[in-house]
Amino acid sequence: MAISPAFSIAQRALLANETALGVVSDDIANVNTPGFTRQIPEFTSDPPVPMNGVVVGMGSHIASVTQVLDPLLQRRLLGAETDSQQQGALRDQLDALAGIVNDVNSPSLASALTGFFDAADALARNPGGLAERQTLLGSATTLAADLNQRHSDVAALQRATDASYVNAATGANDDLRKIAALNVSIVAADSGSQQANELQDERRQALGSLAGVVGIATVDNTDGSVTVSTLNGVVLVDHGSVVNPIAVTTSGVGLDGAPLHQAGIPDPSGAGVIALPAAFATGQLAGLAEARDQQLPAAATALDNLAVTLRDQVNAIQTDPAALDLNRNPTAGVPLFGGTGAGDLSVLISDPRQIGAALSAQPGDNQNALRLADLRTTPIASLGGSAFTDYLAAEQGRVGEDASRAEDTATASSGIQQQLQTQRDSLSGVNLNEEMTNLLKYQRAFQAAAQIINAVNATFDDLFQAI
Amino acid sequence: MAISRISDAQEFGFLTDRVGRQQVAINDLEEQIASGTKFSNPVQDPLGAAQVVRLNGSLSALTQYSSSTQFGSDVLGAEDDALGQAGNLLTRAQEIATQQASGLVSASDRTAAADEVQGLIESLTALGNTEQAGRRVFGGLALDAPQPFAPPPDDLTTYDPSTAYTGSTQDFYVKTGATERVRISTRGDTVFQSSLQALTDLWTALHTNGDVSGTLSGLAQGQADLSAERASVGAREAQLLDRSGQVTNLTTQNQATLSGVQDTNLATVLTQLAQAQTALQATLAEGAQLAQLSLVDLLKV
Repeated sequence: MAISPAFSIAQRALLANETALGVVSDDIANVNTPGFTRQIPEFTSDPPVPMNGVVVGMGSHIASVTQVLDPLLQRRLLGAETDSQQQGALRDQLDALAGIVNDVNSPSLASALTGFFDAADALARNPGGLAERQTLLGSATTLAADLNQRHSDVAALQRATDASYVNAATGANDDLRKIAALNVSIVAADSGSQQANELQDERRQALGSLAGVVGIATVDNTDGSVTVSTLNGVVLVDHGSVVNPIAVTTSGVGLDGAPLHQAGIPDPSGAGVIALPAAFATGQLAGLAEARDQQLPAAATALDNLAVTLRDQVNAIQTDPAALDLNRNPTAGVPLFGGTGAGDLSVLISDPRQIGAALSAQPGDNQNALRLADLRTTPIASLGGSAFTDYLAAEQGRVGEDASRAEDTATASSGIQQQLQTQRDSLSGVNLNEEMTNLLKYQRAFQAAAQIINAVNATFDDLFQAI
Repeated sequence: MAISRISDAQEFGFLTDRVGRQQVAINDLEEQIASGTKFSNPVQDPLGAAQVVRLNGSLSALTQYSSSTQFGSDVLGAEDDALGQAGNLLTRAQEIATQQASGLVSASDRTAAADEVQGLIESLTALGNTEQAGRRVFGGLALDAPQPFAPPPDDLTTYDPSTAYTGSTQDFYVKTGATERVRISTRGDTVFQSSLQALTDLWTALHTNGDVSGTLSGLAQGQADLSAERASVGAREAQLLDRSGQVTNLTTQNQATLSGVQDTNLATVLTQLAQAQTALQATLAEGAQLAQLSLVDLLKV
């Protein structure tokens, strides 16, 4: 027992409020730190002791500095982050795809297509005109080049999407390592001081970043560490070690002929990688994979279908056994279009005279040119019963619709994520007005504690003078 | 969950969000005004974008139908003119035949008449070789082709009209719609054959002092053939004129639809822009207030 218990109470009150001021300062300093969770000093009264026949409280101390957060909300935030990133990644890729298949403005593939049929109409009006023939060849070349370009644009987008997929998958390993390292630090800190709060914020940030890449489930262990697994139960991080890092293997072939990639985990035997498509079917990885493996190939297939149908339909007319060119030579062996798809469609004729506009040797015969011009509006089975332009329009509508739907879904899921983030920030974020009040509160308490020392001191002075 | 507490970071975050969204909206409206179109990407209006492609395709086809209709009208007009002139030639030949058939004409008159008929044959041949922009209108519309009718020799005794025509016997159609086609060619051999034969017969009768009156029925037949073909040409000209009107109407309709789908309604967009700008101004003004509403300024600790 001190000379006067008041001295020791005042001393601890000074210390406690000084600490509280420190906590408030820390909150204020971190007002703009992303992911920072505000902390509050937990004042606890000290156990009373008997004094002069009564029991007197012995003041207070700060038992702990705790973070204000809702663990359930944190968990929901991780899920929302996964969903938001998945839809966002899909939205971004489909948006880019819609930009590629954009035929709203001219010049575009659609205008090249109508340009080709315009030239066929002009040829039908003047089958002997070299200018008309040259225009038809020119517009066919433009059409083939536009199809080539569009196909290579889609292929390039797929390649870029695959690169993002690989980046996301390998980047997630940084988060895994970080989480494992933080697990170790937090376990060490928890057993000692209160240092773990900031580390936990850091770990929550890393978990959020990981959850954006792939959906995860977390288990909080009693020692303060967290076990991370994929949604279907593959453990990624346990305590201080990354159990299963994410490995990337090649899988499938892209539109450009180069291999694509698939995230997996290394085989425990050390040989190769186990592909786990289901484990990586959420988050940014899933969004990127869906665009890469479904939407982009579908768009490319539609382009191929258009190109092959165009080639076959035009060549069937050009190589009709009765068709004759301007020099009245048969064009049965002189197809107009070559190639195997949209990527390599090409014009095989360079001499405009070789276009087979006639079906007889009569001068001025335009019968075959008329058939070519008729292709513009002919419904074609391989185009789903549509004519060429309608097929292109429908395909653009389909891609636009997909992109628009992805945008709506992404907006909705990012809205949910933002709503949860708002709740989290509302609960855990720093409010300066509140901190200013607290600052004042603890400052007053500190001043009052100082006054206790003053008062006790004065009392002792009185006593000493009396002696 | 209602929000009962707001953090400073949120407060400024909300402000940034709101200003950002409003700026995007303003940018979108400005783009609509600058481009004159409601959308420039299929994502913005998938259905509208598909319609734009379809309508542009239709408009482009209609332009071609219109060009073909115009071309057909030009050719049929040239044929109509030529056939009219040919009819006049035949009428003149019938006058000559009627005069010469009376038997009261001198030998020199006959020679002069024979010379005039020879001139008529040459004129009719020239009409059969009529060109319209380098195309032989009675020769299958062949471009830069040799004359379909061989010119008559100076000495008509060796002239055989039945072999004079060497042009195309292929009909030429113009495409005036998805499936509509109109024949615009007139075969020179079928329409001028009887007239040339009748004129040659008349010349021979005059030249050989033969039976001129016997050629009158042949001339009448030639005249009838020309008239019949001219009526057919006129009917097809009317058909093309009709089609041209339809194509013009369809074009106007399609353009109106396209404009409705694609074009910016300036009055609406400008109003929306003014609204959006006012809203942004208000948000910014409110944001400036935000910084002042803080205990930091009010408390002197």
